[in-house]
Amino acid sequence: MSLIAFLGAIETGLLFGIVALGVFISFRVLDFPDLTVDGSLPMGAATSATLIVAGVNPFLSLLGAIIAGALAGLVTAWLNVRLGILHLLASILTMIALYSVNLRIMGKPNQALLGEETVFTPFEKLIDLPYYWVTPIVLFAVIVVLLILLNLFLSSETGLGMRATGVNGRMAAAQGINTGKMKLVGIALSNAMVALAGALFAQIQGGADITMGVGVIVVGLAAVILGEATFSTRTIILATIGCVIGSILYRVVVAVALNADFIGLQAQDLKLVTAVLVVLAMTLPGARQKWAKRKSVKGAGQ
Amino acid sequence: MIEAKDIQVVFNPGSAIENKALRGMNLQIPESQFVTVIGSNGAGKSTFLNVLAGEIKADAGSVKIDEQDVTNWSTAQRSGLVARVFQDPMAGTCESLTIEENLALASGRGQKRGFSHAVTAERRELFREKISVLGLGLENRLEDKMGLLSGGQRQAVSLVMATLNPMKILLLDEHTAALDPKTAAFVLELTEKLVNEGQLTTMMVTHSMRQALDHGQRTVMLHEGRVVLDVEGDQRKNMKVEDLLHMFEKVRGEEIDDDKLLLS
Repeated sequence: MSLIAFLGAIETGLLFGIVALGVFISFRVLDFPDLTVDGSLPMGAATSATLIVAGVNPFLSLLGAIIAGALAGLVTAWLNVRLGILHLLASILTMIALYSVNLRIMGKPNQALLGEETVFTPFEKLIDLPYYWVTPIVLFAVIVVLLILLNLFLSSETGLGMRATGVNGRMAAAQGINTGKMKLVGIALSNAMVALAGALFAQIQGGADITMGVGVIVVGLAAVILGEATFSTRTIILATIGCVIGSILYRVVVAVALNADFIGLQAQDLKLVTAVLVVLAMTLPGARQKWAKRKSVKGAGQ
Repeated sequence: MIEAKDIQVVFNPGSAIENKALRGMNLQIPESQFVTVIGSNGAGKSTFLNVLAGEIKADAGSVKIDEQDVTNWSTAQRSGLVARVFQDPMAGTCESLTIEENLALASGRGQKRGFSHAVTAERRELFREKISVLGLGLENRLEDKMGLLSGGQRQAVSLVMATLNPMKILLLDEHTAALDPKTAAFVLELTEKLVNEGQLTTMMVTHSMRQALDHGQRTVMLHEGRVVLDVEGDQRKNMKVEDLLHMFEKVRGEEIDDDKLLLS
């Protein structure tokens, strides 16, 4: 694998690390399986790309994407909390609706950003390195900032209330935590982060596309689960860092698999490889435990 | 002062499994009184406790806490007035959070939660002091996950959590029922201590007549969603478990066949 391909994998890994952090908030912190992200990632991309083409500052366009994503998350949580629709179904409904919304935002199935300034342009001038170094460096900085902010939030009074809502809603309510509100805020936050990733993604690859959200949830979940399988989840800080590491690991593994000619995998196999990887990551830790148990039982018998 | 007036609760109304859990339940608990509530399965003890906590909405009647009508308040809204310990040790704490995080959650009960750090050095010191009273050595394990503790330990921590902040009433929902006898005795002793120290208005639901008479100042017996017996003072002091059983039979005019009531 060439250096450019490797850095490309790191870059995508870092970008989807942001998605993984969003998925971590919904799936792990709130125990709310949220598929909205398949719609909020292209939504962030579409919003940002459309705003940039309309002449808005690319940094400001990120803010637009974040707000759009937060609104998408609010809709899902609202359907669940206020209307009582099952969380999974509520998120699928929003996801489907967002497909139309995203087409409306762009007015067409895709929006190119050819020749437009992006948030990476000033850094390309600032950092004296080839472009394939600049993007990962900027993304790394973004993710470090996000990690710090997220951890400050999750260890705050409100953040602790959000975590309690996911672990034990009944107890949380008895402690005076408005669990409905926590879900609204948490899912909005999660989708805002995913939309931010979508916006950055559009600016990196030079455009937004209506289909770019397909399977985002699986990729995000793969990162979270890989992170858990390979990294400690003892504290919330380690767990969130694990999500990012999982995301990078996932991309590198996929890049290696697709680059190794002897396996015979090609780019179109990406989604299949992803699904298989998630299944393996979810079942292997359990199998490993079982195996260790069997071994220790055997040992005790001797 | 807690005042429940003519509370009615019907589960699954209009269906074949309609269940009138509370049928005009009246109870007044003056400040700093410790009331024990007893009754057979389905008498409405837990339902009544949940009505006070806000988890179950009364279909009729009103709940007042210090002259304030809280009948339509949600559990979270009432949390500043009501503290509770659940029957299931798993229910009262968050197992994937640490002991100190659980305590931090509880010390936010009834207060506005902001964005400041939840576990500060100052709070940790307070937690250590509060938790060392238990004598379980947990003060050195504040950063351990709650899930690592035994049921009894968790219940003891739950009690400390419930009493961290001021409240108008402490609700104990058969909080020793899931524990072995020795641990149950320890938790009860701790309950007695905390309630006495804070002069807490307390309602303890229990399955055991022994417990109901040994603890608190007043005992209330429920049957079919109503108060059928209410004793305190000298009358209660001289009462034995057999007397309670006898009175129960007399009031209801039927034999008790609930083994749990007889044996515990």
